[in-house]
Amino acid sequence: MNVRITNGMLLALVMNVIYAKAIGITQGIIAREVASDMWLSTLIGMLQGIAAAWLTARVIRMGGQASMIDIASKAAGKWAGKLIAAVLLLFFTGAFATVLVTFTYHLMDYFLPEAPVILFVVAALAVGLYGAYHGVEVMGRMAFVGVFSILILNILVMMGSIAEFDVKNLLPVMDSGLARTVWASRHFDTDWSLATMMIAILLPHVKKPQRWGRASAVSILFAGLTVAIWPILETGVLSAEATREYIVACMQLARSAHIGLFLHRYEMIMVAFFATSSLIQIMMSLFCASVCASKIVGVNDYRLLLLPTALLLGGTGYWIVADHLRAMIFTADYWPLFAVPVAIGIPLLIGGISMLRRNKEPAV
Amino acid sequence: MNCRSIAVLVLAWSAVSILITGCFGKQEINDLAMVTAVGLDLYGDNQVSLSVQIVRPADARGQTGAPSGGTGEPIYSIQSQGRTIFEAARNLARFSSRRVYWAHNFVIVIGEDYARRGIADMIDFFTRNHELRMSTWVVVTPDKASEVIATITGMEVVPGEAIDKLFRYNQIVAEAPGSNMMRLQESFLATGAEPVLAKVQLKPRGISNKKPNQFGSLKQVVLSGAAVFKGDKMQGWLSPKDAKGLLPFIEKVDSEIAIVNCPNEPGKRTTLELKKLKQTMKPGWKDGKITLRIKQKIDANLVELGCSNSYAVVREQLEVKLRQQMEDQVKNIFDIAQQQYRTDFLKAGQTFHNRYPQEWRKVAAEWDDYFAEADVTVQTDVKLTSPVLKLKEPTSGKELK
Repeated sequence: MNVRITNGMLLALVMNVIYAKAIGITQGIIAREVASDMWLSTLIGMLQGIAAAWLTARVIRMGGQASMIDIASKAAGKWAGKLIAAVLLLFFTGAFATVLVTFTYHLMDYFLPEAPVILFVVAALAVGLYGAYHGVEVMGRMAFVGVFSILILNILVMMGSIAEFDVKNLLPVMDSGLARTVWASRHFDTDWSLATMMIAILLPHVKKPQRWGRASAVSILFAGLTVAIWPILETGVLSAEATREYIVACMQLARSAHIGLFLHRYEMIMVAFFATSSLIQIMMSLFCASVCASKIVGVNDYRLLLLPTALLLGGTGYWIVADHLRAMIFTADYWPLFAVPVAIGIPLLIGGISMLRRNKEPAV
Repeated sequence: MNCRSIAVLVLAWSAVSILITGCFGKQEINDLAMVTAVGLDLYGDNQVSLSVQIVRPADARGQTGAPSGGTGEPIYSIQSQGRTIFEAARNLARFSSRRVYWAHNFVIVIGEDYARRGIADMIDFFTRNHELRMSTWVVVTPDKASEVIATITGMEVVPGEAIDKLFRYNQIVAEAPGSNMMRLQESFLATGAEPVLAKVQLKPRGISNKKPNQFGSLKQVVLSGAAVFKGDKMQGWLSPKDAKGLLPFIEKVDSEIAIVNCPNEPGKRTTLELKKLKQTMKPGWKDGKITLRIKQKIDANLVELGCSNSYAVVREQLEVKLRQQMEDQVKNIFDIAQQQYRTDFLKAGQTFHNRYPQEWRKVAAEWDDYFAEADVTVQTDVKLTSPVLKLKEPTSGKELK
């Protein structure tokens, strides 16, 4: 993979990878834990994400500008690299399942309730395979369209909700207490963890290494800000009590939006913009999982492993998505316990090993 | 079959899968029965009677009389029963030739008996259903809901649309809350507020063009007053006058009128139009007791002067009278909330929670008792800012001689 992308493309990819799940599924889960403090929890999660992204970029730059897997191979041997690749493959399989939960429940529950789940899985995999096959540069360019879609979607939902917004619904601030609000931020952490793990694989293919740290951190900041509008609107318009009732909280806000008297029920337009971001999430999860699989098997071209990886991700995703309760238990209870330690632990571990080895090397 | 053929087949199948996604669950427009109003009445002791008003597109194009190929009846109202709302809705399919489609519904009318039994099932059904708009109006009626939804009101050919427009223009009367599904769900789920829904009822207000001497021969749907709830159960009614006092607590009041007696002139009245009404509620907590301080700031115009003196002479006295009237209005609605129904539909609990989150934890479980005992003070600041176009009182030129 000799393709190089710009820092702008990286930013666009990060924003898309975080956005789709964070505005709806994640906010519903956070609202069930901390009610009206969900927007604060999201912002706290964003700050953690900025730190984690900066750390990941720093470790990669320190480790010789290779992917996290290659740095692990170099620092602790071939099998250590394969182990990290296996953990990351597991991570992207889980992440793909949560992404598929987002994609399917938005479209199936609100627009195509009679369509079978398998249809959404096949459609997601087909688009994901197409994007992943064409590589990171094509996905990076599509991500620019995704950023445009995100901005349009945010503008549309703001225009449709602002008339119903009641700032009193955001009060009292920090009603759930600092500790619970911080703890609830782990759900948003799972969203940026997909982005930082993508950075861990993708960063060596980004131009201008001196800007990696800043670009990664700024990407999470921008993504966090575009996401934070949603919990504020969901609380202010629907109320936290209503937001917590729904699996896909953002769709409840979208179907309540209206511009003036005559333009309402335009969620179909909004979901078209949402889908761009969601599909880029799907492509990136599949792409990163295939790269990890190729490192485990030891082949140079990740494309050879796209189909087997798609079957693994699709099968797991289908099993989780097929049952709403199972999907929500996985997304809310189990996934943060795996995703967040991996996203923070792997950069810390590899960074630590790299530093130790550097210290052991005799000074010339 | 070689690998290349398999790959082509898989790709073709995937492409077809994606292209036909729009065909799943497709609903042709001429197969749909578009509901524009829903009525819910109690059937027997614990069953649901669901009435729906379905629009006939060919007959509801705004013209009078039967268009060619039409029946001349713009709506088709039908009713079915079931143990749950969903069962009743499904039972409609026994005789409706088209599939019931909720997305264009304007209003849900709940019969009083149903509302008193509890509306939790109705809130759940309509907020769980992806077709329904959250901006759908929700009202309660002392009449049969089925009758209300079938009554043609105003100049619209579709009764549901007429009620929708009543809500739009009811703001200038300010006698009923703009209760939609989103606000109902919010107040039902909230811990410091109780639901309150608008009241509609049938009254003989229309005059038949064919029999103009029989005034009131046509029943019309009148939107005025409100129904008060505790949890999901209706507790009672608010009169239009009571509802005027309620509105500033739950929504923005754009305009309202107040009629005051002329100073020192019994039987003569003046009308004031409230152009700006800003109200705040400040809760307090002292020695385990709650205080609520209501502040009102009102700008009003004089729009109809029935007094014998000019605007300049009566202005200050009218301000005093309006202030007294507005303060009485607030005290009256608090009396109803605290003593008559003992339910906080004025959102005092929510306001208290926002200001005293720690104390709220102590009182939340027994909020109704704390609320009933709360001391309420009202302070109103009134300014009459304009007599509109004229300064002088309406006096005949002959009297001036």
